[in-house]
Amino acid sequence: MISDLMQIPLRDPTVYDELSADGVTPRAHWAPFMQGLRGIGSAELEKRWGRAERRIRENGVTYNIYGDPLGANRPWRIDLVPLLIGAEEWRFIEAGIVQRAELLNLVLEDLYGPQKLVSSGRLPAELLYANPAFLRPLAGLTVPKQTYLHLLAIDLARSADGKWWVLADRTQAPSGAGYALENRTIVADVLPDLFRTSNVRRLAPFFRAQRDALVNLAHRDHPRIVLLTPGPYNETYFEHSYLARYLGFTLVEGADLTVRDRQVYLKTVEGLQRVDVIFRRVDDSFCDPLELRAESYLGVPGLVDAIAAGNVKVANALGSGVIETAAMMPFLSGLSRHLLGEPLKLPSVATWWCGQDYALEWVLEHLESIVVKPAFPSRAMEPVFGADLAKTEKQEFRERLKSRPYDYVAQEQVALSAAPVWDGGNLFSRSMVLRTYVLNTGSGWVAMPGGLVRVAGSESAIVSMQRGGHSKDAWILWDGPVDTFSMLPPRDQPVELRRASVDLPSRVADNLFWLGRYVERSENKARLLRTLITRVRRASEAELSCLLRLHSCLDTQRSTLPKKRRATARELEEEVISLMTDAKRPDSLASTLAEVQRVGGVARERLSVDMTRLIGAISDSMQIEDYMLFVEYSAVLNGCLELLSAFSGMERENVTRGPGWLFMSLGRRLERATQSARQLREITTPLADGDWPLLEYLLEVADSSMTYRSRYYTTLQPVAMLDVLMADGTNPRSLAFQISHLVDLYQKLPRHIPDDLQAMRQALELLQSFDLRHLDYPLPGEAAREHLPGELLRLQDSLKALENLLPFWSNNLSNQYFSHARTFSITIG
Amino acid sequence: MIYRIVHRTTYRYTYPVSVGNHVACLTPRSLPLHRCERQELRITPPPATRTERVDYFGNQLTFFTIQEPHKKLVVEARSFVTIPENAKPWPGKSLPWEEVVDLLPNDRSAAGLDAYQFCFESPRIRANEEFAEYAHLSFTPGRPFAEALRDLTTRIYTDFKFDSKATNVRTPTEEVFRKRRGVCQDFAHLQIACLRSLNLAARYVSGYLRTYPPPGRMRLVGADASHAWVSAYSPDSGWLDMDPTNNVMPSDGHVTLAWGRDYGDVSPLRGLILGGRDHTLKVGVDMKPLDCLPERSKRQSV
Repeated sequence: MISDLMQIPLRDPTVYDELSADGVTPRAHWAPFMQGLRGIGSAELEKRWGRAERRIRENGVTYNIYGDPLGANRPWRIDLVPLLIGAEEWRFIEAGIVQRAELLNLVLEDLYGPQKLVSSGRLPAELLYANPAFLRPLAGLTVPKQTYLHLLAIDLARSADGKWWVLADRTQAPSGAGYALENRTIVADVLPDLFRTSNVRRLAPFFRAQRDALVNLAHRDHPRIVLLTPGPYNETYFEHSYLARYLGFTLVEGADLTVRDRQVYLKTVEGLQRVDVIFRRVDDSFCDPLELRAESYLGVPGLVDAIAAGNVKVANALGSGVIETAAMMPFLSGLSRHLLGEPLKLPSVATWWCGQDYALEWVLEHLESIVVKPAFPSRAMEPVFGADLAKTEKQEFRERLKSRPYDYVAQEQVALSAAPVWDGGNLFSRSMVLRTYVLNTGSGWVAMPGGLVRVAGSESAIVSMQRGGHSKDAWILWDGPVDTFSMLPPRDQPVELRRASVDLPSRVADNLFWLGRYVERSENKARLLRTLITRVRRASEAELSCLLRLHSCLDTQRSTLPKKRRATARELEEEVISLMTDAKRPDSLASTLAEVQRVGGVARERLSVDMTRLIGAISDSMQIEDYMLFVEYSAVLNGCLELLSAFSGMERENVTRGPGWLFMSLGRRLERATQSARQLREITTPLADGDWPLLEYLLEVADSSMTYRSRYYTTLQPVAMLDVLMADGTNPRSLAFQISHLVDLYQKLPRHIPDDLQAMRQALELLQSFDLRHLDYPLPGEAAREHLPGELLRLQDSLKALENLLPFWSNNLSNQYFSHARTFSITIG
Repeated sequence: MIYRIVHRTTYRYTYPVSVGNHVACLTPRSLPLHRCERQELRITPPPATRTERVDYFGNQLTFFTIQEPHKKLVVEARSFVTIPENAKPWPGKSLPWEEVVDLLPNDRSAAGLDAYQFCFESPRIRANEEFAEYAHLSFTPGRPFAEALRDLTTRIYTDFKFDSKATNVRTPTEEVFRKRRGVCQDFAHLQIACLRSLNLAARYVSGYLRTYPPPGRMRLVGADASHAWVSAYSPDSGWLDMDPTNNVMPSDGHVTLAWGRDYGDVSPLRGLILGGRDHTLKVGVDMKPLDCLPERSKRQSV
């Protein structure tokens, strides 16, 4: 009995129920599993599931939904109950999808080669000529046969009589295999005992085979394989970064690659590195703006020519999208007999391509019972359900079909089978589609044992992740031994030590560098604002001018303060609020935090999960409520500063000292040095009588009050301040400390500029060369002198020179390591 | 008759371009009565790589990459083409156009299949009811294909005004149709759109016009730049060329460079550059019969 775990929906006799034939007793292969679930019990399952959902959020498993008002990244929705498939049934499915993959690969080989299928009339010419996915520049080029369909996804549905049908073929850059893997990891973790006792076939051997297949495409040892993604705004970006990490490939965007001498190169901080194989997740027509879609920013100019030269292998081959159209389906059965000499094992769902006279006639007569779709992607059109059309609409639609029949396909609507879905302690029935995967190893075909099950979000029959459905794991319950190979290192074995640096694409280095700068810039702003907020309300006249001087250290470009007269305390207060919260001001803290979020998001695949989560928290930290008192703002800043410190801590303690860390730290040091030099300028300009509180503020901003007081007690002296904030190499807030670290970091960079390194060393020496103990600093009250003492002037000049050098070094760094990744190609002609 | 054609394209950039990937479609096609005798492509600065490839339509493409920083790119194509002096005769009789429409999808000969691909929409040319309506005024029921084609060409010539300011290379055909203005590329696209809207096969031809006409003839529009016209197919007469910009049937004054579904397939020179920011473009074309050239350059070139 399963009724105690299941709110039994009214059994619909027109659909196949995966779990149970009669709605009461589970099918034989489900029985042990259901027993196990019952053994765990609803309450415990809910508890475990709560933990799993938290893990999904923390792992950052997301699927971007276009036009989602909740923001781009939405947590991936997984269901706790896997779809169970018995061994016998799987053997049948496997044979069917492998045969289909082999057939489709042969069709592609012909369409981009001799086109005998078209000239012999076995395939209508329209499927090529009216199809924008047929990429003429690729026709006649020689590419390895196994790359046409390196990976193929086939969507399957089960009709009421229990038969499997093919709904769709994904031949371009099929998505979802990575989500299937993530689903497996999570579900197997929630139900560890059930997973073990069910003898489930593992997924890892499939991915190992895929990695080997891609490695074998290259003609040299240690080939460089990249996973080409459209970038973080793509709906399945999470999967791209997840798969790249899992398979050990570098994740790249089009702008990371360049073609020189008909060869593809990856732009890294160590220079151009040759790329052998591209595993692509960018649609093929976007891959080369020179020969394919000119307006594409996602591709690599010259890629087709590099393919023509045989210098790079792309999987799936460019152009493989041509057979993705459902218009192909009516012909597969005949093609199977012709090309393979055997009947098609898995039927396609009944499909009529209207380009054939008799098919058009049939479609016009049976409009009520079918759904009509565009045959080719160029026609933007939602599927039309004939039954939904009013009488007049029907006539109009018939005319449309008749005017360009080859642009349309019609399909029978399959009543999808129902699978159990866990929700709030109960099981519900939902329509489902099974996406399977087949891999071409070059020496044979391998089906992924399992797949990605997608279930409808509600009781509707539309199954689509874009429309907010769930996904499920699929377990193949095996009757023989299962290969328990894991791509993840086994826990009880030491991992192989590898210190070789992984390629750091220049674009990623650029983002990490700016992440370091923006985090530091945020911290400095937050500290300065906090000092201002706690004082501005009860400031005396003298203190107000010091606070204004402190404000000037921010060098705000969009200050709201009056320029011609001194600002009032009230005006400064408003300026401080604006600087803190006004997201429209590019110089505000809010904007800087938004930048942290942006560059952090782009560099996500190089940051740990904790760091990514922290970045999210940092940018959410500026929550200002309407009723908040002014003084409470400082509490908000405290919260923000704590998170920023946590991030710095993680950066120091949890990040491997690879090139990525180098760039992030360089960004931080350069930024802090810039702020520090700016603030020191206030001290080297002799202070007037009332200006002395400024020293206290600056100490507070630099978080060095303790250091100072432990050495000099309470008297604030400019010269002593200069020692603590400028020359003291042991104070992590001092300028000398920044420059000395800059030198250390910079010299570790590959290809650094020797002149800049030399200049940094000289700057450090200079900072430490001043004899501060004997520095003649005019004291307040002292009669104004006509000339400043020489040594103080020299100090001022040195700091000014350094203030100019810092942006210069930053620009040089940019030019040397990032700029070639920043420029996009533009189309001319 | 032998023509010498010099086609010079100059790009000037505001900032240096560090890498440029280009493809040129500047080699005249060789056809039974239209032979490209000699061709050379001079590129400055000298490209790091240069390869030739024949495209799906049989055009000769040259791919080249410039990998040294440059602020100026010059591509000069010099070609010598022989064409017969007397024009190809216009077919006296031809099939009713509806029959051509019915024959096209069922002709699986190499030539038939090759023609059939030009019946469909292409990136820059979409078929629609408006175009079909306009075309139907010439393609009246039962009218012979060649006659209707000629009539459509004349109508486009009279209904549309040549205006080099009205459009640019990216102007959609629908807009050209609304504005009733454009240049040779627009008129060619428009006529193709009309023909394809009737399910006829039509292709875009890129080529050149003789710069100065023989004595007694009018100078044709589009002679100092690269030109474009239309070719339409019927199983009985083969490909028929028509120049809607000048309302003529191309003969001994037109040299064919390449053909494709639309301009995008055969643009003479295109590329992607890194850097450069803004650019200016200058194109000059000069096409003269060899006997009109001064003695010295004749010796040099033949």
